[in-house]
Amino acid sequence: MNDSTVSGDSSSGNQVAPPKPAAKKKRNLPGMPDPDAEVIALSPKALLATNRFVCEICNKGFQRDQNLQLHRRGHNLPWKLRQRSSKDVKKRVYVCPEPSCVHHDPSRALGDLTGIKKHFCRKHGEKKWKCDKCSKKYAVQSDWKAHSKICGTREYKCDCGTLFSRRDSFITHRAFCDALAEESAKTQTLVAPTSPDEDKNVEAAASPPQSPPPQVSPAPPAPPSRASPAPPPPRASPALPPPAPPSQAPHPQFLLQLLCCPLFCLFRAQPSGNLYELLESTSPNPTTTQIPEETPSITNLTASCGGSSSSSSSNGSSSSNVFASLFASSTSSGSLHSQTTGFTDLFGAIARPTCTPDVPPSSSTEPVSLCLAMSQGSSIFGTAGQERRQYAPAPQPAMSATALLQKAAQMGAAASNGSLLRGLGIVSSSSSSTGPQEWSQQRLEPDGLSLAAGLGLGLACDGGSGLKELMLGTPSVFGPKHPTLDLLGLGMAASSGSTDGLSALMTSINGGLDVSAAPPPFGGGEEFGSKDIRRSL
Amino acid sequence: MKAELRGNSQSIPLQNPNHFTTTQSSISGALTGCLSTLDGACIEKLLLHCASALETNDVTLAQQVMWVLNNVASSVGDPNQRLASYFLRALVSRASRVCPTPVNFNTATGGGAGGGPAFHRRLMSVTELAGPKVPPLLNASIEEIGHRLANFAKYRDVPFEFNIVEVGIPQESSSDILHYDLLLRQLNPSQLNLRVDEALVVNCQNWLRYLPDEQMGSSTSSNLISCRDSFLDMVKNLSPRIVTVVDEDCDLGATTGLASRITSCFNYMWIPFDALETFLPKNSPQRIEYEADIGHKIENIIGFEGIQRMERLESFTKLSQRMGDKGFLSVPFCEETVKEVKTLLAEHASGWGMKKDEDNTLILTWKGHNSVYATVWVPHAVETWENSMSN
Repeated sequence: MNDSTVSGDSSSGNQVAPPKPAAKKKRNLPGMPDPDAEVIALSPKALLATNRFVCEICNKGFQRDQNLQLHRRGHNLPWKLRQRSSKDVKKRVYVCPEPSCVHHDPSRALGDLTGIKKHFCRKHGEKKWKCDKCSKKYAVQSDWKAHSKICGTREYKCDCGTLFSRRDSFITHRAFCDALAEESAKTQTLVAPTSPDEDKNVEAAASPPQSPPPQVSPAPPAPPSRASPAPPPPRASPALPPPAPPSQAPHPQFLLQLLCCPLFCLFRAQPSGNLYELLESTSPNPTTTQIPEETPSITNLTASCGGSSSSSSSNGSSSSNVFASLFASSTSSGSLHSQTTGFTDLFGAIARPTCTPDVPPSSSTEPVSLCLAMSQGSSIFGTAGQERRQYAPAPQPAMSATALLQKAAQMGAAASNGSLLRGLGIVSSSSSSTGPQEWSQQRLEPDGLSLAAGLGLGLACDGGSGLKELMLGTPSVFGPKHPTLDLLGLGMAASSGSTDGLSALMTSINGGLDVSAAPPPFGGGEEFGSKDIRRSL
Repeated sequence: MKAELRGNSQSIPLQNPNHFTTTQSSISGALTGCLSTLDGACIEKLLLHCASALETNDVTLAQQVMWVLNNVASSVGDPNQRLASYFLRALVSRASRVCPTPVNFNTATGGGAGGGPAFHRRLMSVTELAGPKVPPLLNASIEEIGHRLANFAKYRDVPFEFNIVEVGIPQESSSDILHYDLLLRQLNPSQLNLRVDEALVVNCQNWLRYLPDEQMGSSTSSNLISCRDSFLDMVKNLSPRIVTVVDEDCDLGATTGLASRITSCFNYMWIPFDALETFLPKNSPQRIEYEADIGHKIENIIGFEGIQRMERLESFTKLSQRMGDKGFLSVPFCEETVKEVKTLLAEHASGWGMKKDEDNTLILTWKGHNSVYATVWVPHAVETWENSMSN
C-alpha cells in the first residue's frame, strides 16, 4: 500500500503520514514498546494460565479470544452488550513478572503475550522438556519441538570424528582442526632454531592421532604456519590428542579452545588472523626466537603445574591459592570442575607469551602461579583436549554460551577477577560440547561495539545479566541488574576479596599483552589496557 | 515456576569451593541460598544430603537438612515442592526406623510429617496379584476390566474368555515372599486349564516390579535365584506364544543404593506430579489423592530396604537384559500398532509423546522423559522346542 491518503503527496518514497491502525501495523522493536500502550503486569500464575479469556457471564475460561467470542454468542446477549468495548483495541504490552529481569521494567515491556510467556518460561522457568535423542532440555514446548525436528537430522562429520549439526560451526572447526593436522605434519620446516627437545615434541605431535605426545611444545611453532585464514583442505588430523601426563607442555589444543573462545574474535581481527602471531607481536619480545627460550620455562611451569614441587612453586603458592580459589569452582558440581581446567587452559594459553625468561622475577612468579592454579588435579591440556574432542553429540548436557557466562560470573567473585577475565577475553569454558561451537559461530562477527556484541553471543536477557555480573564482579547470577554499564563494566565497588597476587598478575599480563595495541572491536580497547586495570588495583 | 539456579547457590563463598562437604557451615550457607530460589536440582541435593546423613548416622545434620526441606516442601505447592514433601516424609519414616537414637524426627520437621493428607493404604488383595494390575487412575474393578477386554476382543474378532484366577493365600503369611512363591507354584498349566489349541499370552503389566529381586537361595539349591527370575523361568516353561511386559521405566531395584534411588525416584516421580500439575488445578481433591498414592509409593521405595519393599521398578534396558538372559527374544510391534498409538497420543493433551526405541520398545514419554515402556517377547525358539520335547 503505497498510497498515502493522509498527506496529499503521492510520493512513493516518503510516507509522511503517521501509520494508521487500519494500514500496515507498526512494529515496535522488541523490548521497546509503544509509549502510549497499556502496560499490563501479570503475576506468574496469571501469565501462564491457559484460560486467559474469561466469559463475564458464566466465568468459563478459554485459551483463545475467538473461542470466547464464539461462546459468548451462545448467551444471546442484547445487541448493546454484544459489541466489544473500544478499549480492547488499545495496544497492550506486558512486563515480565520476574523482578530481576530486564523486561520487568515497563519501558522494556514486550508487546506480545505469547512472547512474554515464552520469555518467562525460557529465562525464569524450569526446563521440563527433554529431547529424545540428545539430552538438551527446554522450558518452552515450541523450542523443544523445533529442536526435536532438527536433532540428529543433518550431521556434518569432521575427519577427526567430531559431529556437528550446524554448517558454520563445522566449517570453523574444520579450519583449525585441519590446520592442526597440517601443523604437526610440517613443523620441521617452520621453526628455524628448534631445540632437539622441541623437534622430538613436534614429531610426537605429528605422530598418529591417538598417541599422546610426551613433551609437546608444538604450539609455538604450530600457529605461525597456520597463518592462512582460509581453511586448508580437509585432512585427517589429530585434532585433540588424549590426556597426557600432567607434566605435558602446552599443547595445540589450548589454541583450539582459544580460537573457539568468542572473545578470541578480537584477536582475530589482526590481518594475519593468527592468535599466536598477535600474542607474540604484543609481547615484549615478539620474535619467534622467543619460542625455544620459552620452552624450558614452559616445561618448568608445566612441571609445576603437574603439582610436582619446584623451586618456583613455593613462590607462587600464595598466589596460586588465590587462583585455585578463583578458578576452582565455587560450586560442587564435578562438571564445573572440569570446566575450570578447560578455562584455565585458556588462561594458561594467554599467559604463555608472558612467560619469557627475561621477564623480571616478580612477574615470572605470576605465570607460575597461574600454572599452579591450573593444577586442579588434572592435566592442563590433556583433559582440555579430551573435553574439546567431545563435540556435538556428547553425553553430557551442552551448555549454552549464556549459561557458561553465568557460570563464569559465579566463579569470578572478585571484581578485579572479573575485569581480568574480561580483559583477557576469557570466559569460563565448560567441557560442554556445543560451547566452543556456539562461540566459534559467533567468532565470525568480530566487530562488536559493546562487549556483548563482541562476544557475539545472543545475550538477550539472562546472558546479559550474567555478563553484567561478570563485568561487575558480583558472584550472584541473578543479582540486581544495571541498566547502564561502562563498556567494560568495571564496577569495582562490587569486588569482594582481595587478590594481591591477582593484581600483580594483572600487571604482568597487562605488560605482556599490550591489549591496547589490538584493534578495538572492544570499542574501548585502548582504555582497557591501562586505565581500567589500574583501577582495579 | 521458580527461578532456576544455574549451577549451585550463588551465596557460597569462595573459601568453600566444595559446596557439599559435610561441614555444617557450608551446609547452612548452601541451604539459605537454596531457600530463596529453589528448583528441582536443589531439592534433590538436599534429599541426597539427608540420606547420606542418615546413612552415616549423623543425626544432627539429618535433622538440619530435614528442617530446611520442611520449609521448602509443601504438599500444595508446585510439583517440586509436593515431591519434596513426600520425599521428606519417606526420609523421616526411614530415619525413625533406622536411627537408633531416640530422636524424634518429627520434631525436626515440626510435626509436618505427621499431618497432611492421609495416605491410602493399598491392600495387596489377592485379586490384584493374580490379575493385571489396575492403574490407580482408572479406579476400575477387575470385573470391569474383564468387560472392557471382552469388548475389545469382540471388536477385533478374537474369541475371548475372561477368567479370574484366585490364588489362595493363607492369611497369616508373614512375609511377602511366601505370597509370591505360593502364587508361582499355583500358576502351572493344569491350574490354568490350558487347552492344546490355545495360544498363551502372558501379560505382565505393572507386575514384574512387585516380584522381589533379591537373590535368595534355599538350602538345597546351589545357585541363588531371585523370585523375579524364577517367575520368568516359570513363564517360559508354559511356552507362551508371546509375553508382553509393560512397566515404569525407572531403576529402583533391589540392588540400587539409597542415594541413586532417591535421585532416580525424584526424577521419575516428577513426571506424574508435573502431569497432574498440567491437567488438574492445584487444590483438586482428585489430584491430592493421586499424589498421596504416589507419596505412599515413594515412602516405600525410600523408607524401606530389602524384603519390606513392595515395588522394585526396573528400567527397560535392565529388563531387556534380564529377558535376554532368561532366553527371550524381543519382537517388534507392527507398524499399525505404532501408528495407532501415535494418533491416540496426538489426540490427547500435549506433553505425552511416544518414543520408539531400536530394541523394539515403545516408550511413553512425558515432555521427553521416559515414563512407561512396553515390550513384547517370545521365548527363544530352541528352548521352546526343548520344552515341547520334554513335555
